Amino acid sequence: MPWDVIFFYLIGGVSVLTALGVVVANNPVHAGIFLVICFLNVAGIFVMLGAEFLAVTQVIVYTGAILVLVLFVLMLVDPDDLPEFHTARPVQRYVGFLLGAVLLLEVGAAILTWTRFAPEGTATPENIAFVGGNTQALGRLLYTDYLLAFEVISLVLIVGIIGAIVLALPERLGERTGTRRDTISLGHARGTDTAALPVGPRGETPITVDRDRAQPTPAMTRGLIMAKDADEYTTV
Amino acid sequence: MGELGIEHFLFLSAALFIIGMMGVLTRRNVLIIFMCVELMVTAVNISLVAFGVATDTMNGQAFVIFTVSVAAAEAAVGLGIILALNRRGKSLDVDDIRALRD
Amino acid sequence: MAEQPIWLTFIVAFIIMNVLLVGMAYMTYFERKVMAAMQDRMGPTRTGPKGLLQPIADGIKLLGKEDLIPAAADKVVFFFAPLIVFVTALVSVAVIPFGGTVQIFGRDVNLFVTDLNVGALFILAIGSAGVYGIILGAWASANRYSLLGGLRSAAQVVSYEIILGLSLVGIFLITGSLSLRDILLAQQQPLEFGPLSLSNWYILSQPLAFVLFLIAAVAETNRAPFDLPEAETELVSGFHTEYSAFRFSFYFLGEYINMIVVSLFASTLFLGGTSGPGSEAYWGLGLLWLLLKTVIFLFFYVWLRTTLPRFRFDQLMGIAWKVLLPLALLNIVITAFIRLVSNGQVF
Repeated sequence: MPWDVIFFYLIGGVSVLTALGVVVANNPVHAGIFLVICFLNVAGIFVMLGAEFLAVTQVIVYTGAILVLVLFVLMLVDPDDLPEFHTARPVQRYVGFLLGAVLLLEVGAAILTWTRFAPEGTATPENIAFVGGNTQALGRLLYTDYLLAFEVISLVLIVGIIGAIVLALPERLGERTGTRRDTISLGHARGTDTAALPVGPRGETPITVDRDRAQPTPAMTRGLIMAKDADEYTTV
Repeated sequence: MGELGIEHFLFLSAALFIIGMMGVLTRRNVLIIFMCVELMVTAVNISLVAFGVATDTMNGQAFVIFTVSVAAAEAAVGLGIILALNRRGKSLDVDDIRALRD
Repeated sequence: MAEQPIWLTFIVAFIIMNVLLVGMAYMTYFERKVMAAMQDRMGPTRTGPKGLLQPIADGIKLLGKEDLIPAAADKVVFFFAPLIVFVTALVSVAVIPFGGTVQIFGRDVNLFVTDLNVGALFILAIGSAGVYGIILGAWASANRYSLLGGLRSAAQVVSYEIILGLSLVGIFLITGSLSLRDILLAQQQPLEFGPLSLSNWYILSQPLAFVLFLIAAVAETNRAPFDLPEAETELVSGFHTEYSAFRFSFYFLGEYINMIVVSLFASTLFLGGTSGPGSEAYWGLGLLWLLLKTVIFLFFYVWLRTTLPRFRFDQLMGIAWKVLLPLALLNIVITAFIRLVSNGQVF
């Protein structure tokens, strides 16, 4: 068997197996790791197809940025908020796999009966080598035929960035998120007399109430008054 | 490409796409569904490049640049939504996220 | 670039890898000696003459230690995470050219492992894959401090990678190629200023990009003053708190090899790599020039570590997004404009 066929089955096999791993893994972080391996192998497939630039783009954009962020979010969220795989409704699961099998048969039939109707292009390996390689050929195409689309895609990216920033902001600007109230530094101050406390940097009175639950000691009060950080106070 | 035909790559692409689709249909964790969508996009990219090679054009590869950019924008917004949901104390189960439906 | 049998490439790769590992060991010695001199100390003196055997003693000590695995750790991920850092650090050296094709024992030998069409991007891509070693190791340790270090590292590397990539765009615009060998060859053309003739090193035509690259490279390798993922004083060593013995040494090796690779990369991109007086006649001299330039960068790393205090995390992110990113974009616009003017396409 020639080497490229062996490599194809190796890389393709690993990518399909790890893709299955993404679907069946119980631990979401494991699913993320499987997807990383899968995408690295897809980059290998791109190299086999002669698209080196896309292979590197695949690694930089998908594994280097998107999946790092996905893992980042996975590690940030509370594991208790994540649903278990096994709680999926059985009907949903069986219908899902059944639909997948049907689609696989359909697409398989389409691939096997595929006939070429597009005319031959000019990007033969000799022509690509003539302009200097895959990167140069792709650049020429992007900045001539697809120039408008290229500009539009940069606009899409900017809108995406702005959208992400807006979504990530707290609901009202300047306000801390809800869990802030329960931090250790505020826990010290529970039950102290608000009148005895200094006013916050923006003129607000610090709210550190819940008198019924706490037994203030002089040390606790001192701890709060000594705190100089603006974050030690919450607004009403 | 030796004995490798375009069909090999198309089958690989179809397999990855369908695995991703099954993931989207059967999993309920928003983040896993997100990853499966990325997997489907990548599977389509493989077939775009394969068609480009088969017809001796670079257009397939140019399309992949565009899909990768859209996927990046989608990741930024999607993860922002997921974080915002989680910050409001919502579960990350897709069946529980239905504020717009009720 | 001459074709050569694959076994010859393997031999070259093997030699480069071993030189890199030995170089890494003596990098630690170099760092300790330089830091000692800057802090008016002696540094290692006991092991061998002038303490020259200290790295070997350190290695034996690390390998002899007990290998601890936390009970709550994810065993498989915990095992593989340090290897990711180590392997990605080693792989990226494959595209760095150590010279052209030379005659050794009557054979044509390429002094590089491979000449990729996308070599410069390859190093960036491999570097971005290396961050998985840190965040997965941090997560698998089941330790809050480690996880914080890993998350910091993820945010930091993703942000500074953008700066690293954008700072190189100017060079790509001038060279018209992403191959490191083409970039090296382009820098060997002389630059004429009337009677003066200088080597066209990109540090001269891309000074802003050089500064941006240096800052981003320090952040990318998690070194002081950007060593927030480790931050001994606040995170008890961050992502590798739970690692010991040879697993820890893989992280350690990976970090130092990364520094050496980034220094080699910077010398190739901005300081003309192997070019220098006499390097055209003798390839050994070219290697010496490359070594000298790399050592300058490594000294710079150590210098920073002894001089600057660590940044706060919001300062780190602020620098990346509010200062460095606009500067990098400005550099691209200026370079593209000058390129257009010199091509006669405007005015």
